[in-house]
Amino acid sequence: MAGTAHPEAMAPPQKGPTRTAPPQMPGTWWGAPRIRTYLLFGATGIVYFIAGTVFLHLVWQLGKGPEAWETALSSLSHPAYIAFNALTLVSVIFVGVRAFGGMMPKMQPRTGPIPVLPAGTVKALIYGVWSLMTLVICLILAGVLF
Amino acid sequence: MKHLLLILEPVIWLLFGAGLALGTMLLTGFVLVVGLAIPMGIVPPEALNYERAYGLASSFIGRVILLALIALPLWKGAHHVRSLALDFGGAERDGAVGSLLYLAAAGVSVLGIIAVVGL
Amino acid sequence: MTEAAEMMHVEVTRFDPDQDEVPKVQEYDIPIQSDWKVLDAINYIKDEVDSSLSHRWSCRMAVCGSCGMMVNGEPKLTCKTSLADYSGSIKIEPLANFPIVRDLVVDIDGFMDKFRQVKPWILRAKERAEDMEALNEKGTFSQSPAELGAFKQFSMCINCLLCYSACPVVANEPEFIGPAAIALGHRYNLDSRDEGARERNETFRGEGTVFSCSFANECSQVCPKNVDPAAAVNQAKLGAVIDWAKGLVLPREGA
Repeated sequence: MAGTAHPEAMAPPQKGPTRTAPPQMPGTWWGAPRIRTYLLFGATGIVYFIAGTVFLHLVWQLGKGPEAWETALSSLSHPAYIAFNALTLVSVIFVGVRAFGGMMPKMQPRTGPIPVLPAGTVKALIYGVWSLMTLVICLILAGVLF
Repeated sequence: MKHLLLILEPVIWLLFGAGLALGTMLLTGFVLVVGLAIPMGIVPPEALNYERAYGLASSFIGRVILLALIALPLWKGAHHVRSLALDFGGAERDGAVGSLLYLAAAGVSVLGIIAVVGL
Repeated sequence: MTEAAEMMHVEVTRFDPDQDEVPKVQEYDIPIQSDWKVLDAINYIKDEVDSSLSHRWSCRMAVCGSCGMMVNGEPKLTCKTSLADYSGSIKIEPLANFPIVRDLVVDIDGFMDKFRQVKPWILRAKERAEDMEALNEKGTFSQSPAELGAFKQFSMCINCLLCYSACPVVANEPEFIGPAAIALGHRYNLDSRDEGARERNETFRGEGTVFSCSFANECSQVCPKNVDPAAAVNQAKLGAVIDWAKGLVLPREGA
């Protein structure tokens, strides 16, 4: 086993007459590919948090005026920024595939007026919206639209 | 602390969910162009010269989108890092860790609002 | 019975509360048959090699849910897991995340306590006259196939506790009421005969319930009955949030 779980995990409300051994973690915990994927999914949170602050910085500089904006924009070509943004892109795609491909189609409300659609349809819809939004944002930012 | 987090849980979860869904959808395009294509010279930087960037950003829709782009990933990040901390055996510190992370997300979100409104 | 052609090395967790400080591992080499399940190997050890070994089992057909154990570190229903899937050696441990009573037997009282918190029975708003009429006319509350279909999947749970053993949140947050209990609460929330959704949603917004879930999806991966508890928990999250939002804008009926 891979170490002990929380000593009170699944503890009975009252201690029984027999002494029990403490609960163990599943042996597959760290090594299992599924768990590693799950922990990586959680770790993308760090990347998202930093990405949010990077865009805050950019908007802040845009508010300061032309010079500040041009400096901020050109500083993005520093290899460290490019590496971080590449990591962000990988994280975003990973989160999108895991959340839109597997998690969100499962989460349709089963009660209420909206009919329950097949998971495949929901998946296709979400992926469609994602691709369309990305395309429109890219075209606008690259100066093709507007 | 933990009690307050419990009351706010639906709001936090909605912000997290919005960050996961909408944040991901917004980030993809922005990171592709602003973070990668322009710095790597694939798209000329003139596409986002000051006049054009300011014009896009200061429109009402532009402001709303930029605020979402800044704030939503913060909440997705804070919530995920909290559950990651719990996975490494932090049940006792969960209330403190959660409060700290959400406060950070809220703080940076407020800066985001100031930045976007001040454009 | 033909002579067994194959041998298997079996590592089994042993724990005697009267003698052992901590669980230890005991190794057995036993002859196996090609069509055996993991449970058959454990029963062979108990019957032929070492009668002091304790384990739980009953139906041998994946219905009673009592023979759940960790097989090579993964929670499995041992009556449903073929030995042929493992070659040479196998490691059998008691279900993870539960206090160990003896050998392969775990204490499930904690689960029974959590289970009750979601009120897994049909709640009616109040005893109403039409309830009695409905009962008198048809003998029971009628339900269409579509209404049954809304929750049927979530009612297939056999309480085998594999999901609790797989869940990283169960391992680390003692208050978490866990996948099966939430899935069952959600199953009643989806039942057209039930009127207790509001009450359960209040429970769901309490400490250690739906929002503690971090969607590792491990529960659904190990579920032997394809209940998909992760889907139930996350639909319940949405349900609890919608109910919360409704409570903000609409006055509570009868409150």
